[in-house]
Amino acid sequence: MDRLLDRVLLPVASQADAEATAAAIDGYDIGETVAVHVVEKAGGAPDKASVQQREEAAIEVFRVLREALDRPIETEIRYGTDVAEAIFEAAHEIGASSIVVTPRGGSRWIRLLTGDVALSLVTETDLPVVVLPDVDREGDTEEVVDDE
Amino acid sequence: MSSGDEELAKDLGPLAALTIGVGTMIGAGIFVLPGEAAAEAGPAVALSFIAGGVISMFTAMSASELGTAMPKAGGSYYYVNHALGPLFGSIAGMGNWMGLAFASAFYTIGFGDYLATFVPLPTVEVASLVISQSQIGALLAGTAFVVVNYVGAKETGRLQNVIVITLVAILTVFSVLGFMQADLSTLKPFFPEETGGAAAILPGTALVFVSFLGFAKITTVAEEIKNPGRNLPLAIIGSVAIVTTMYAIIMVVLMGVINWDILGQSETPVLDVAEIGFGTIGAGAIGVGLLTFAGLLATASSANASILASSRINFAMGRDKLISPWLNDIHDRFATPYRSIAVTGGFILAFILIGDIKVLAKAGSVLHLIVYGLLNIALIVMRRADTPEYDPDFTVPLYPIVPILGAVTSFGLIAFMKPIEIGLAVGFVVFGFVWYVLYARTQTTKQGVLSEYVLSRRDRIPDPAVSAAETVKPDGGEYTVMVPLANPEHETDLITLASAIAKARGGTVEAVHIATVPDQTSLEYGAEHLDEIDAESQELLDQARADAETFGVDVETHTILSHESFEEVFDAARDHEADMVVMGWGEDSHGSPGRAESTLDDVTQDPPCDFLVLKDRGFTPGHILLPTAGGPDSELGAEIAKLLGAEYDSDVTVLHVGDSQSEAEAFIESWAEEHDLDDAELIATTGDVETAIEDAARGCSMVILGATERGLLERLVSGSLVMDVVDDIACSVLLAEKARDRSLWERLFG
Repeated sequence: MDRLLDRVLLPVASQADAEATAAAIDGYDIGETVAVHVVEKAGGAPDKASVQQREEAAIEVFRVLREALDRPIETEIRYGTDVAEAIFEAAHEIGASSIVVTPRGGSRWIRLLTGDVALSLVTETDLPVVVLPDVDREGDTEEVVDDE
Repeated sequence: MSSGDEELAKDLGPLAALTIGVGTMIGAGIFVLPGEAAAEAGPAVALSFIAGGVISMFTAMSASELGTAMPKAGGSYYYVNHALGPLFGSIAGMGNWMGLAFASAFYTIGFGDYLATFVPLPTVEVASLVISQSQIGALLAGTAFVVVNYVGAKETGRLQNVIVITLVAILTVFSVLGFMQADLSTLKPFFPEETGGAAAILPGTALVFVSFLGFAKITTVAEEIKNPGRNLPLAIIGSVAIVTTMYAIIMVVLMGVINWDILGQSETPVLDVAEIGFGTIGAGAIGVGLLTFAGLLATASSANASILASSRINFAMGRDKLISPWLNDIHDRFATPYRSIAVTGGFILAFILIGDIKVLAKAGSVLHLIVYGLLNIALIVMRRADTPEYDPDFTVPLYPIVPILGAVTSFGLIAFMKPIEIGLAVGFVVFGFVWYVLYARTQTTKQGVLSEYVLSRRDRIPDPAVSAAETVKPDGGEYTVMVPLANPEHETDLITLASAIAKARGGTVEAVHIATVPDQTSLEYGAEHLDEIDAESQELLDQARADAETFGVDVETHTILSHESFEEVFDAARDHEADMVVMGWGEDSHGSPGRAESTLDDVTQDPPCDFLVLKDRGFTPGHILLPTAGGPDSELGAEIAKLLGAEYDSDVTVLHVGDSQSEAEAFIESWAEEHDLDDAELIATTGDVETAIEDAARGCSMVILGATERGLLERLVSGSLVMDVVDDIACSVLLAEKARDRSLWERLFG
């Protein structure tokens, strides 16, 4: 097994994201998987949604991922004002060998509004980041970055 | 979640919490209403604001106590539902939600007023409906606020603080400059006869009370506040004190500069006064610009905070199943409760079309006043019921005077509204009631502290109260008994037990096969042996299905693959919203005892639902022994004993070991009566507990033990369960542990 995929951190943002991620990593020889969901905090203002509501949603996301992967995974909920930063922090703390992301594209507008976490993950990283194509988005390859 | 993470989740400091309150409240009173308020009561309207502040302060104290005891999302609604049960919860939740929507419509029209002073907006006529400039502005602004919350544009903590501090600063300069231009004679007569003199004060309060609807919003985000025991009361009470003072001063300034009669006819009195006040330093236009800017900021932040708060209330109501969970889905990309925000937004836009700001303000107030009144009653109930979980860091001074005054003044102020607004209030209470009876009652399972209190003291409380409590008790939610299966040997006994319980409670059985994958072989094992596990799983679950169906109970089956099967039981119980878990316990059942897992400590301290753990030596409920020392776990044991007794016609023996014979006899008799076990054989004895249980168990076929002293599950997992009694008894042993709130749990064991 490639050591890069020994202990992989999978950031998952939503149920659809979990499904896309599971489909994307299908077929790769991945060792241990730690799924991380980051609850974005406003850092001093009320959040977009109740923290507990986000935590409950995260449990659902993990459940979808577990069912899609059909194998045991570790899961973790993290909190942070900067989602990418929280993911890096988690990756170091759990001793991840790499972060595996499946960017789900979307229009410029959507990416602007949601902060394009995938881009931050790739550009600000100090850990290997493996970017996998979103297999569900057929024929829409322009936004997919292939990893060596 | 570790405690460090929990700290991260709480990022609202004292200033941020205070600015939520101040930012939401400032806006209405000063920027939108002074004209109408002046027309209502003249200069005496300053006293109307003070009266509003005093009424709010009573409720603010009660909200602080409840908030520190239960820092949960949802705020006022949550406390009322928790204390008074889902009937009042429905009324409070719907009232709070719609109250916020009315108030938001009011704030946005205020925003539209200020927008219309410098942006040329059209007036539109649709059929007979005339939509004013302010309404056009309000519709645009309202749509913008909803969209911002829908996509969850990122707001930083500092921005809110900056907005509120800017507002307070502008208003302070405004007050100082205005005060220098004020003429005390303009304030005379202080109680003008045209408005009804001093009698106009409270009707004035009824009108301006909408200016105080911010303090309770702090409680809706209580779960995000750092050190809530200190910061929550500080923010709630502090914000009421600050805004009341500011309102009173500014009202005096406004009516000291311009006669109330003229002020009452102005669309934007604040701007008129700003022109005069700032005019003295040759900056009249700048003053108008500054105050226009402040007016826009203030009304926008009020509206925005209300929209956010209403989505929290929706979430809390959905969690208690008082509204459809559909409403509370989190958006795939934006991570916002988008449906809740869109629906609330729809209400706000519809209410903007009503147009009359006085009606909107009073509608918002009336619904909040109902909620505030109920909140004060909720506090009294929590104190009376004195449940062990209730442990507020802040307690109201002069209990019970403060909450009683809070309830009386909140409900009392409604009487000073116009008949149409009172009618609206009554209509909403009826709507909440009908909503509960027709929808929520069939869904929710949560019972209020009040109804538990009444039903548990049925002997001492008048019959009508008991039967009323019984009538409105929730009956909804499918009862789910989850059975994690690991060892095929015990499958039939566990499913039989679970089916008997599910049948008695009209619920379903969920059989879950938890296939343990050894740690070392992790993934490859899972992948390569999947077929094998599948086959094993299929066989076990098919058998379970057949067994459950002999009882005529609905059954669902699942397979879960995992390293740590015990932890998985907890996760699965949470995921499937199980009401009870029935599981086996043995060498090869769920996780080998003695394995130290750091994460396990967290989960086992917090059982997500009732647990029954069967040490299986054959399922033979012919003669059940129920040793009791009181407590919630024995209570669960009693329920199960009764239920099995009814299903299998078993004999039940209740055993209590006391310090003295007479004390033991007295205890057991009252306990048996309390738990409807009058028909059972009662044994009261003294001496060594374990010996007594062993002796009594000899003639029995099954023993049900409550986990009385310490966490049963915790001990099972850590392997520290030293109960010789379980090994020394020849028959099956059923261990019962009841779900309970974490706070209580932590207090007793943590």
